[in-house]
Amino acid sequence: MSSLTRPRSGALVSGSAKSDVNPLVSLREVRRDYALGAERVHALQGVSLDVERGDYVAIVGPSGCGKSTLLNLVGVIDQPTSGTVTIAGKRVDAMSDREATSFRLHNIGFVFQRFYLMPILSALENVELPMAEAKVPSDDRKARAAELLEYVGLSSRERHRPSELSGGEQQRVAIARALANHPDILLADEPTGELDARTGAEIISLFRRLNSDGTTIVVVTHDEDLANATRHKVHMRDGRIVDA
Amino acid sequence: MLLPFLAFALILQASLPQTSQRTIAIDEAFAAEAHLKVGDRVAIAARPGASAAADMVVIGAIVRRGADPSQVARGDFVARLHLDQLQRISGYGDRVDRFAIATRRSGDIDRTLLRINHVAFGFRAYRSSDIAVETSRTFQVVSRFHRAIGVITIVASSIFLLCIMVLKVEERRRDIAALRLMGISRSSVVRSIIIEAAVVAVLGSMLGVVLGWATSLFVNWHYQALYRTPLYFSIVTPPVIGLAVSLSLILGVGAGVLASMRLVRTPPLELFGR
Ligand SMILES: Nc1ncnc2c1ncn2[C@@H]1O[C@H](COP(=O)(O)OP(=O)(O)OP(=O)(O)O)[C@@H](O)[C@H]1O
Ligand SMILES: [Mg+2]
Repeated sequence: MSSLTRPRSGALVSGSAKSDVNPLVSLREVRRDYALGAERVHALQGVSLDVERGDYVAIVGPSGCGKSTLLNLVGVIDQPTSGTVTIAGKRVDAMSDREATSFRLHNIGFVFQRFYLMPILSALENVELPMAEAKVPSDDRKARAAELLEYVGLSSRERHRPSELSGGEQQRVAIARALANHPDILLADEPTGELDARTGAEIISLFRRLNSDGTTIVVVTHDEDLANATRHKVHMRDGRIVDA
Repeated sequence: MLLPFLAFALILQASLPQTSQRTIAIDEAFAAEAHLKVGDRVAIAARPGASAAADMVVIGAIVRRGADPSQVARGDFVARLHLDQLQRISGYGDRVDRFAIATRRSGDIDRTLLRINHVAFGFRAYRSSDIAVETSRTFQVVSRFHRAIGVITIVASSIFLLCIMVLKVEERRRDIAALRLMGISRSSVVRSIIIEAAVVAVLGSMLGVVLGWATSLFVNWHYQALYRTPLYFSIVTPPVIGLAVSLSLILGVGAGVLASMRLVRTPPLELFGR
């Protein structure tokens, strides 16, 4: 389904076009310290990383090594203590809350370990939600939401509430939702963490399909099968990238 | 308590033909209490037990009670006699304390009032509607008192609503964090919570109005039977509905704003907890 990953038309293309030369995501000497009482935790200690458009990267490493911290910086939901983060040619490391929120809406697709679908909305409405926020006309967003649910294999579940869906189905709705506004990049933190091996495998093959259809993906995972399905693995230890 | 029915007695005497059998009219509460019906013969006297002076009369009419709040709490029974008989039994002669005058046209009232007050020294004439207003003062106070109780009730339940909203919203902090991380703006989150609060407040107050209306039916049924009066003790009027709905809407929306503001001020990652 080429329409899912087709570059956006109109004004929104400019950022993407520029990044065709540069990497889509570029981190330079990124540090992130957390104040924990009087102590400072150095979660990231000078990380530099490029992610090319169309790549599929797994960030792996022991617990507490800073994987989620890194992904949050790429997802513009956190800001580095120092260093720069550039996405699609745009510096995102010091945005205001309002700018960051809008950037996330239009450029980032986030998939969480727990799916965080809105319980009172149907699967279709959950996928429509980010498009409604982006002021996509109702007919267009219904059509696209239906298309996305079909892509993730849930056409028959459009009207179902999250509580009526299995974990694997909920995660697929969440992935469809993450793709709603044609993001530049799909980020996933332990997307198979709550799923059993079989449903996890479905998500793994869905991610592969998405990537081969052109979606840039970065996953953080402890799941060997998921990590092995990606194009590149980035190993981390103690807040640093080792043998990237 | 002879005076209130003197005027009526006057009219009765004027309009009814004199028959050998004297009649009286009693009110329905009296009739029910004493198990009397039209046509019954009773002895009447000015003082209890004064049987020597008693007259035998026939119950000619049973009169429905008016919807007069001032009569409700009183245990009085009313009997209306022809004036001459009343005068004789009571020994009052031709003295009266009060009497009522009906004019043919309402336009004549002012002129009549003026004239009476001008010529009759020691008398004071009032318009009946003024007397009605005067006697219902107490009830206006009571009704204001009720309104105050109502407002206090709604405010108290709104504080309850606020607590529930805060808890409900708190319960969904992770969902809200996820929304914020997806790129849903603060204002959208606040707006949706406020809309939810408004819907809850309006539905709740509507439910309250329906419940109040049903309770009113019961209260009226009960007290009308108890006091034998057609008076309505409790009514749900459009202004009451308006006050209830708008007050809970304002307070509900306020609750929604407070509850959601608390959450959207916190950075989404913190909301997620660890
Ligand atoms: N908000 C925070 N406050 C204080 N310390 C934090 C905070 N977030 C992360 N840390 C610390 O930063 C380090 C990196 O955390 P991070 O969540 O990135 O690890 P991770 O690699 O994702 O681990 P896991 O695989 O267990 O999810 C850890 O030592 C963690 O305790
Ligand atoms: Mg993590």
